[in-house]
Amino acid sequence: MALGAVQLFSLISRHNQWLAARQATLAGNIANANTPGYKALDVEDFNQTLDTLGLSMATTQPAHMTSGATQAPVAVRPEDTWDVTHSGNSVSLEQELLKAGEVNRAYRLNTSIAKAFNRMMLAATKG
Amino acid sequence: MFDPLEATLQIGSSGIQAQSKRMRIVTENLANAQTTGKTPGSNPYTRKTISFEDEVDDATGANVVKVSGIDRSRAPYRTEYNPGHPAADEKGYVKLPNVDMLVELADMREASRSYEANLQVVKQARELINMTIDLLRST
Repeated sequence: MALGAVQLFSLISRHNQWLAARQATLAGNIANANTPGYKALDVEDFNQTLDTLGLSMATTQPAHMTSGATQAPVAVRPEDTWDVTHSGNSVSLEQELLKAGEVNRAYRLNTSIAKAFNRMMLAATKG
Repeated sequence: MFDPLEATLQIGSSGIQAQSKRMRIVTENLANAQTTGKTPGSNPYTRKTISFEDEVDDATGANVVKVSGIDRSRAPYRTEYNPGHPAADEKGYVKLPNVDMLVELADMREASRSYEANLQVVKQARELINMTIDLLRST
């Protein structure tokens, strides 16, 4: 019984971690919206990262870099975007802001669930 | 591990900085759209251009944007027949700056749109941080 709740908390924190990494990736895209040749990035789906979260990519050579702000728990991949400009930049501001809104909504949902569960557990312990 | 939300704020501010610099260059171009040379046959104000590049910040691993260089445009100057002008050459033609108002205004619009987008990202990252802090607050 208690285990279920604890697992839910860890799931929420992992999902929020993923959302924060996604937000950082989107921020990088938007900041580089006018950089010639910049390709828009997005993180791997949460379903795919859920199992591997906590593991990091192997650095077999000293020149290998960790994958940016996400520090490897969340992999980053080039994203199919709505349009590519003449300069080779594939960032679409509308698309990125739409995704940022999505992140915001999911984050709010997660924190609300965590709050509600915390309240329930406190209600149970206080009696 | 670095906090991605901290990195988000850093990336957002780098974007804001880059776009404000771009706005400054646009303003310089517009302000000097009529600036001619002083001596006969001399060159007028040359349009400035700004270019960006992405850069991985070593400290946080964030993919920030930075101004890679401010150059001078290589477009030809406009000329105008005005023999009385101090900068007129022997044939009476004055070289005028290669600044196109329409291009500058379009550039300004794009800069302000990108600025807004970066601002929006910073706002949203702050909201996410606040939501997390609120978890502690309301119990």
